[in-house]
Amino acid sequence: MALWIQISSGSGEPIYVQVAQQISEAIAKSELASGDKLPAVRKLASELVINPNTVARAYTRLEQAGLVTTKTGSGTYVSDPKLRKSDAADINILTERMDTLITRGLNLGLREQDLITMFKDRLAKFVNRQTERKND
Amino acid sequence: MTETVLQTQALTKYYGSTLAVDHLNLKIPQGCICGFVGRNGAGKTTAIKLMLGLLKPTAGSSRLLGCDSQQLLPAIRQRIGYVTEGHRLFRWMSINELQKFQRAFFPKQWDDKFFADMIEYFNLPKKRKIKHLSNGERAQVSLALALAPNPELLIMDDPTLGLDAAIRRQFLEGMIELIMRQGRTVLFSSHILGDVERVSDRIVVIDKGVLRANCSLEEFRAAVKKVILSFTDSPPADVDIEGLLHCRRSEKELELILVGPADEQITQWAKKSGAQNHQIVKMNLEDQFIEFTAPPNHRRLFQWEEK
Repeated sequence: MALWIQISSGSGEPIYVQVAQQISEAIAKSELASGDKLPAVRKLASELVINPNTVARAYTRLEQAGLVTTKTGSGTYVSDPKLRKSDAADINILTERMDTLITRGLNLGLREQDLITMFKDRLAKFVNRQTERKND
Repeated sequence: MTETVLQTQALTKYYGSTLAVDHLNLKIPQGCICGFVGRNGAGKTTAIKLMLGLLKPTAGSSRLLGCDSQQLLPAIRQRIGYVTEGHRLFRWMSINELQKFQRAFFPKQWDDKFFADMIEYFNLPKKRKIKHLSNGERAQVSLALALAPNPELLIMDDPTLGLDAAIRRQFLEGMIELIMRQGRTVLFSSHILGDVERVSDRIVVIDKGVLRANCSLEEFRAAVKKVILSFTDSPPADVDIEGLLHCRRSEKELELILVGPADEQITQWAKKSGAQNHQIVKMNLEDQFIEFTAPPNHRRLFQWEEK
């Protein structure tokens, strides 16, 4: 799984955030499903050539977001979506991010309907993958 | 409790009347990869040589693995690896001869197979003399020599200077490989902040011989911030915000470089100062370093002016 994680040093985003974001995206797309095991911290560190503490920090961040759980002595696993809690603050952040996209879209001269269509198309890409995965 | 593997106390070095290292108080805990950064002439090489006992300090002291740097016992030296700036190796020796020579200093823990595997991986002929190797190949031999004795503390002085991206990556891999082993510590100086960011979990910044930062990389990343505030009128004359490092003004804007304050504090100050809006910019490590070590009232080399 390590191969699709891209590290860009020199970015404004710290490396542990980059790793956490890419894994959470994979979870959203069901490339990683509930119960899947994440690579061991040291293995991922070695493959990505980054400090093991950075990987551990990324995993902690994912754990705080409820996306993974760590079983002592066994490893880190993608958690069950039913057990994830989304708190109001997280949803707030999401709403604010949507504002940025809407602003950009409107500034590009897109109409309301264009934006809605685009949103639905993108969303479908995630949801389709989830269904494909379930039918596997 | 984490052990301290490297400690300096008011370590100071003058070359004639030039102050190269100024009362350096440094503590490096076991188990980290520490990026040692500073501008050219900041005193990194001098500090490293003082730590290794290769130079005598004018004042102060330093200890490696609990032993005074000026009196490093052979038993302690065997636990320390050192890679010199420019990978200076004996030019007349072949790779094989150099291995035998180096192994004699580390009789207990030299790993012949590890060394042979690395040389093979690099595709270097063992009988070739150092003087017939390219810079990159010499650096690869130097890396193999540094890792083969499995040092508890590895100190490297700008090891990736002038190397191509692939060989630089091999050095980073080597550092990660070493740190995975129990109780290993790496200190390396570099000007390539992207490399430092990638492998370090600790950063030490020196400027003009003075220690400016010694903290986890994440703390440093989170601490140095740029804020742009815009005003309907001219910005306030007094900028009394905590942690202010640089303040640049234009007609209706302020650009602040801050060290330390939380985003909420910045937002509060922005409101108080009457800013119309403000933006906290995420800086990359290189920009943070440039701002952090810039002299006060620093201006750009070329400043665009409206004609």
